[in-house]
Amino acid sequence: MPGPTPGPLPKGGRGRRDWGERTLAWAFLLPSLAVFALFIGYPLGRTVYLSTHGNDLFGAPSRYVGMRHYTDLLASAEFHKTLVTTLLFVLLTVGPGVFGALGLVLLLESRVRGVRWLRSAFALPFAFSVASASVVFSVFFNPAIGVLNGLLSQFGAGPVGWLTDQRYALLSVCAATVWMNLGYNVLVLSAGVGSIPQETVEAARLDGAAGWRLARSITVPLLGPHLFFLVVVSTINALQSFGQIHILTQGGPDGATRTLVYSVYEKAFAYGSSDFGTASAQAVVLLMVVLACAGVQFGVLERKVHYA
Amino acid sequence: MSKWSLRLAAALAAAGLALTACSSSSSGSGSAADGTAPGPQALDQAQGVTTVTFWHAMTGQNATALTSLVNAFNAAHQGKIEVKPLFQGSYDDVIAKYKASVQQKATPSLVQVYDIGTRFMIDSRQTVPAQAFVDKDSYALDDIEPNIRNYYTVGGKLASMPFNSSMPLLYLNTDAFREAGLDPAKPPRTLAELGEAAKKLTTKDASGQTVRYGFGAAVYGWFVEELIAESGTLYCDQDNGRTQKAGKVLFDSAQGAQAVQWWADLVKGGYAANTGRVPADAQAAFKAGKVAMHLESTGVLRGYTEAAKFTVATAPYPRLTDAGQGGPAIGGASLWIDGPGHSAAEQRASWEFVKFLSEPAQQAAWHTGTGYFPVNRKALDDPKDKEWLAKYPQFQTAIDELHATKPTPATAGCLLGVMPQARKNVETAIEQTVSGAKTAQQALSDAAKDLQPAIDSYNSSVG
Amino acid sequence: MSATRYALAETRTVRESTFRVRELFGRLAVYALLGAAVVTVAFPVYYAFAGAVMGPSELSSYPPALLPHSVTGRNFTGAVQAIPLGRQYLNSAVTATAITLAQLLTSILAAYAFVFLPLRWRAAVFAVFLATLMVPWEAVIIPNYLTLSGWGLGNTYFGLILPFLASGFGTFMLRQSFRQFPAELRDAARIDGAGHWRFLWRILVPLNKPSLAAIAIYVFLSAWNQYFWPLIITRTAQMQTLQIGLASLRDAERADPGLILAGVVLSLLPTLALVVFGQRFIVRGLTAGAVR
Repeated sequence: MPGPTPGPLPKGGRGRRDWGERTLAWAFLLPSLAVFALFIGYPLGRTVYLSTHGNDLFGAPSRYVGMRHYTDLLASAEFHKTLVTTLLFVLLTVGPGVFGALGLVLLLESRVRGVRWLRSAFALPFAFSVASASVVFSVFFNPAIGVLNGLLSQFGAGPVGWLTDQRYALLSVCAATVWMNLGYNVLVLSAGVGSIPQETVEAARLDGAAGWRLARSITVPLLGPHLFFLVVVSTINALQSFGQIHILTQGGPDGATRTLVYSVYEKAFAYGSSDFGTASAQAVVLLMVVLACAGVQFGVLERKVHYA
Repeated sequence: MSKWSLRLAAALAAAGLALTACSSSSSGSGSAADGTAPGPQALDQAQGVTTVTFWHAMTGQNATALTSLVNAFNAAHQGKIEVKPLFQGSYDDVIAKYKASVQQKATPSLVQVYDIGTRFMIDSRQTVPAQAFVDKDSYALDDIEPNIRNYYTVGGKLASMPFNSSMPLLYLNTDAFREAGLDPAKPPRTLAELGEAAKKLTTKDASGQTVRYGFGAAVYGWFVEELIAESGTLYCDQDNGRTQKAGKVLFDSAQGAQAVQWWADLVKGGYAANTGRVPADAQAAFKAGKVAMHLESTGVLRGYTEAAKFTVATAPYPRLTDAGQGGPAIGGASLWIDGPGHSAAEQRASWEFVKFLSEPAQQAAWHTGTGYFPVNRKALDDPKDKEWLAKYPQFQTAIDELHATKPTPATAGCLLGVMPQARKNVETAIEQTVSGAKTAQQALSDAAKDLQPAIDSYNSSVG
Repeated sequence: MSATRYALAETRTVRESTFRVRELFGRLAVYALLGAAVVTVAFPVYYAFAGAVMGPSELSSYPPALLPHSVTGRNFTGAVQAIPLGRQYLNSAVTATAITLAQLLTSILAAYAFVFLPLRWRAAVFAVFLATLMVPWEAVIIPNYLTLSGWGLGNTYFGLILPFLASGFGTFMLRQSFRQFPAELRDAARIDGAGHWRFLWRILVPLNKPSLAAIAIYVFLSAWNQYFWPLIITRTAQMQTLQIGLASLRDAERADPGLILAGVVLSLLPTLALVVFGQRFIVRGLTAGAVR
């Protein structure tokens, strides 16, 4: 990112003015730093504190329990399942979400008619918030009067417990999530394709590259940064997904869709339980997982990405 | 961003701050939860209109019935009291939000809490016991159904005023019964009989796809609680938490396992629909004629008679075996008046509303409008109620069931601070048994084990 | 349709004269795939709209009606009665607008300090800003909930807005943008006697409008779509945002899908307009600087 001469005014002997400017700098930074301190810094410390304490009926910390919450989590089969579910949720939403969108964008690139119209159609899910999309899918997946089972019955297939059968619940929630993300992913990758120099593509075409070969040798590699960006963003988003699980399955059946974030919610706020201690310990685990993911992705993936 | 839109945004922000000011709740002096209640003079001395914020969990037909009762009360107390009903989601949501409101020091004046939240509400020390008002007014509780009073009486005192009380019933689709050559007048009485009937009532089309399931109920822990109560066994120790605070759940008994295994086997055999935990989804399946027999609260009866295209019949809740001796425990919810943070006038106004709701005329309207029991026995003498029962005998089943139930610790239901989590754990156990991951016995034992730390930590935190 | 097709075809005649038969099958496959994809992606959107105007009997009919036989407005009136949709719109608008304006302001100031002012420990302070981007909000949500509840700000606009008044993301983006500001222009302004304050608001901000707009869109949409935080910090329907209102509409009217879908459609209008009419604008906002 080249930019012409950033940085402050040249330092000179104008001591007083320099002092004034330094104060101004801190004054400018203060609002942001204050917000960060109050709502990120302090709560981080507080989360760790809460995770080492038991609590009363309303969640106020009552007694020091050391690492008890953590050791309990490590020993808990339920928590292991939560971690596995979280991992599956990430894999099943990021993979299909990003590469499905890539497939669509490549299809659009193969010089079809009505590209604009199609692209707009693919971008439609973007208009949906997580909540509105989940609410629509909850109507779809409804076991008794849902559209999806109604359509299936047309083909003589039995009713499927989309959200109530543990074999399908996670897949259903993932499918809804992929749908929600599709709009955004298509928009980003379309922008990426738009930024590929036309000459490069034409040159490849003159060399006889077309269709699949053009995609593989030119478009996809040049989309590297965009794909990388999407994988990172989608992974972190997936780890933080909450609304669709809260609306569609409440983590069930039998914990089949309970991800880490949902588990934090469940322990802290659902069913009238205010187990802020256990919830905080899980929140710390979540923090570690997000940091690790981000680290791994930047470390490993970035090396393989071509920056245009 | 244009100047115009910036200005608009600034105006919006300013308006927002103004609105915030309006919505922040007023906190008055008010007595703490020391067990004393303000007398009628508190309201006489109050100036202007006293507002009662009332949180509830009623939906559909029941919400309509509640709204009309609230409107009647407000009309009768115009200029003095205004009750503002606020729907807060499911019963689980209400208790979660109530907890939040305690944390945020902004409880509602009056809150409808389900049966199993009773222990928690007492331990929260936020409410004025109904008994305090009863004593102050020398109000006679004799007309309140003894079985219902029994549930909400803790330590000899009425903790909250029952409002919508229910028991579970067996609902039948009579058309389906006749089609299958069964007599809806002779409904199955035990789980074994119910299973047999379910097999006969299940129909498939030419392609082998199930058109109608014989049975279907929400994966709702309450149904298991009721089967256990009917078998005369306890759900938790210390006589269902009635003699002392319960320290252990007992739902992993042979009776509990029998009930859950029976249910799971029906689902696995293809005779019962599994529509998940949400009661509304199971209700929709029954109303749509997709399941022929169904377990639900008495409180949905009116909604069924309104919506279903077939004749809905009701039968007593099934028993584990013929040997069962108890009856079902009371379900539904009661009304809790909040003390700390609410003025004496507000507490008193809440009580006036609670009293109003428990009077015969209102209970008759509530009974016929919803299917919930009249908590006031006199309501059954109301001519309108009598007329209604004559016309819709389905409503009689529940009343008979209630009166046939003998008050015992088993039928009083379990008082447990973490009862909502206990119910959730049983639901998880049902799901695990249905999926075949565990046997019912195993799943329930695991559920009980999983719950123990929560019970211990609850009990140690309330001392 | 056919007219536009014809026009499109004409502009491509030259290229498509090299059409070969083998390609024809490939094309057919491409169209078939695209067609299937469009149906899958667009169907939920279509059904949300179609279901919103269907009567309850049509919605629960088997097999499900895919085309509304008659259009009814009952669902819309029902949805508006079931939840205070207007008020919740206002709540979402107030919250998202306030968050957007506040983040723009705090980010502009902070980015200015990083780029144009002398600062000790510049790298360290900037690292703090970047670090805030790495912390998932859900990991700190419990203490924040307790803090704001303790201040009595549960169920208020302040509770909804306060934690989001600053953003490492906005600062980071603006810093990138400010760094590219031509040095000559800055010197010229200084020679004209413009102090920092005047330079910032009269020259720098107006000239960075596109970046600011992009950040504003991003921040606004994120705030508008928030779910977890408004779910726990609000209690009453009057203070809930549109997203929470929709979820509670679904809970309250589960057996009446038409009503639920009508609520979704009503809530969707602003963002849908944005996607249909301002697609280019959003893309800029969403990918702002993330990919260069």
